[in-house]
Amino acid sequence: MQYQGDKIGYFCSMVPVEIITSAGLKPVRVKGKAGMTAAADAYLYPNMCPYIKSLFTDALEGGDAAFDGLVFARSCDGMRRLYDAWKAYIPSKFTYMLEAPKNVDDLAVAYYASQLRDFAVQMGKASGSEVTGPALEEAIRAANKARGMMRDLYSLQKRTPLPVSGSELFNLGLQTLYGDENDAAGRMSSIYKKAAKRDGPGRGRKKIRIMISGNVMDRPDVFQIIENVGAEVPVADLCTASRYFERTVDEHGSDPFVSLAAAYLDEPRCSRTAAPAEIYARISDKIKQFAIDGVLLTALKFCDQQLNDIPYLVRRLSADGTPVLFVENDYVFSDRDRVRTRVEAFVEMLER
Amino acid sequence: MLKKYYSEMKSGLETAYQQKPRAWIRMNIQLASTFTDAFRDDAKVIWTSYYSFPMELLAAFDVVPFDFEIATNLLPMFDADGAVEIMNRAEEAGYSTDVCSFHRLAAGCCMLGYMPRADLLLTSSYFCDGKAKANQSLAEHYGKESISLDVPNKISRESVDYVAAQLRRISGKLEEVTGQRFDLERLRECISVSNRARRAYGQMADLQKVTPYPYIGIPVVNMSIFGNMLAGREIQEQIYMDMVKESREKIMKGNLVPEKYRIAWLAWFPPQPTNITQIFRENGVTIVMGELARNYWGELDEGLPFESLALWCLKNPYVGTIEQRLKGINEIIDEYKLDGVVHFSTDACRHSCAAQKMIGDTLKERDVPYLVLDGDMSDKRKYSADRTQLLLENFIEVMAGRK
Repeated sequence: MQYQGDKIGYFCSMVPVEIITSAGLKPVRVKGKAGMTAAADAYLYPNMCPYIKSLFTDALEGGDAAFDGLVFARSCDGMRRLYDAWKAYIPSKFTYMLEAPKNVDDLAVAYYASQLRDFAVQMGKASGSEVTGPALEEAIRAANKARGMMRDLYSLQKRTPLPVSGSELFNLGLQTLYGDENDAAGRMSSIYKKAAKRDGPGRGRKKIRIMISGNVMDRPDVFQIIENVGAEVPVADLCTASRYFERTVDEHGSDPFVSLAAAYLDEPRCSRTAAPAEIYARISDKIKQFAIDGVLLTALKFCDQQLNDIPYLVRRLSADGTPVLFVENDYVFSDRDRVRTRVEAFVEMLER
Repeated sequence: MLKKYYSEMKSGLETAYQQKPRAWIRMNIQLASTFTDAFRDDAKVIWTSYYSFPMELLAAFDVVPFDFEIATNLLPMFDADGAVEIMNRAEEAGYSTDVCSFHRLAAGCCMLGYMPRADLLLTSSYFCDGKAKANQSLAEHYGKESISLDVPNKISRESVDYVAAQLRRISGKLEEVTGQRFDLERLRECISVSNRARRAYGQMADLQKVTPYPYIGIPVVNMSIFGNMLAGREIQEQIYMDMVKESREKIMKGNLVPEKYRIAWLAWFPPQPTNITQIFRENGVTIVMGELARNYWGELDEGLPFESLALWCLKNPYVGTIEQRLKGINEIIDEYKLDGVVHFSTDACRHSCAAQKMIGDTLKERDVPYLVLDGDMSDKRKYSADRTQLLLENFIEVMAGRK
């Protein structure tokens, strides 16, 4: 079946947007519904990841109508069951489950490349526009450029005080994932020009610098909470923030599918594939690069992959003398007053 | 602490076996012996997942396979309060109570220094995310390498080759860790032995179709979880054949407890003390099949050992989309004349629990009574005997209404 429109929703940062783009379609990351997810509880399970439940609640209420097709990935157990439930209960136009490996080595790259080839064929069939080598290469270049612009902006955040507020930069990143990329590119360029002009140390009181690390987050609540108590967020190690934009696909590889597979598997990884020691090393590196005073670790409730890593991360970071605040979240931070109180206390402690 | 526990368990079982030589006791002696051996100084100890890793590959080496989930979760069977204290230790260290009790208990045992040494940690990407992550964390604790066999969601030429290639690489890693040469012929022999055991297992599964089935049937479920520990070893076939013999004798003798209700058990059976067995016994309920106890994997090809082990993984009901699981459940219903199906829902088992409605809808279409029984595998704080009794008795009433 060919699409009547061109908007393809996807649920995980493991999905190469370049392939969707090269089929003449527009990739948009799907956002879950804010608010109660009781509807999904009846279909899935109350103790399931709230992000998954939000996505399904939205679909039950017709939210998927905004998309002409949906791409799932074998990200986690929750996402596998979401795919099953979606197929069983949501009449969808087109769904595809992308077989993203859970290992990162040459075997996994080769296997993922084979799956991406199939994905490209299916996208081409659905859109009526075959994915050609030149189109894919062009899409890779364009995506690299867009991610590179965000990366440049994040690199400016090493300065004190921040040239751009953490929430503004986060929102800009979200715009590229969820909204209008063309508009985002213009804004990125304009912000970069202004920020880059402010060379050297700025004036004003140094603020407490907090790094956020976790998984999917597509609302700026925590950023705003931190900023409202007088601290700032130079960098956010999230799959919807700096981590996503650190990915670069080799533009000169002999096989673009292999290049995509390697980049999507091997670039900064979440708890899905990364061992806790790897995540700790990445956070430690960012702490140094961005002169971080404290780390806010956050995990989606019921996310087995991340919850298993938290004790290790807290122990290692604390042993280094890095203050850590761990906040479990329900995707929409419905307990934001409680989070605010904890963040206030954390910042107060850091200011002492 | 665990070393002493397994040693006492082993000697107690050996005494029991002398008095009453039953295959099920022999199976448990094997389990206790393996866990005791894991503490031997001269042993090469490979931590693994009996129920999801192809054990024939480990049987081709002289190693002790140690399943941290099963080993530690024997504890609540005899000391549920002690198990909670150990879980508390993990929770104090930052483990959320939302993390599976199996993994909290294993983490607590590690922190307290109860576990044997690990030379290598091998697991699989299925059944659950939590197990693979726990494997990583435990590997960090021991400063050893953790390897997860990545099993994709679908069966294809590419996925079989991918899993087979990983298994070949793991055999190389086992050579490195154990200092032993990998012997392809030995692996083929292990696969041949495993095929014989599978045939014996098939005979057991056929006997479970007999009405009345002479056992309550909980070992049927438990065997499907840890029976694979012995895959590739002669003793697995011997134990299965003993079970077949015992079942046949019991059926031939007749004079069996009347079987009122035949059910299938989905997911896992809790190792912690529960009132489930008692309720089943009082009401004539027998578990005649578990979804993993089904002989779903087919003969392994000795000529293509790695590919056939890969296929064994890929065919597991918990791999793939829900259709693979539903297909197995439908086959059980067709073959075992069931009165009902119970799905045990340990709340952290999200991949399993999130399929409850889809399974329920399938069973509703087939007009088979279905119960989702909430509880926890090992954490007594999350298990209610009263609620279990209420749910099971209501379910039995529903089944009675259909008779």
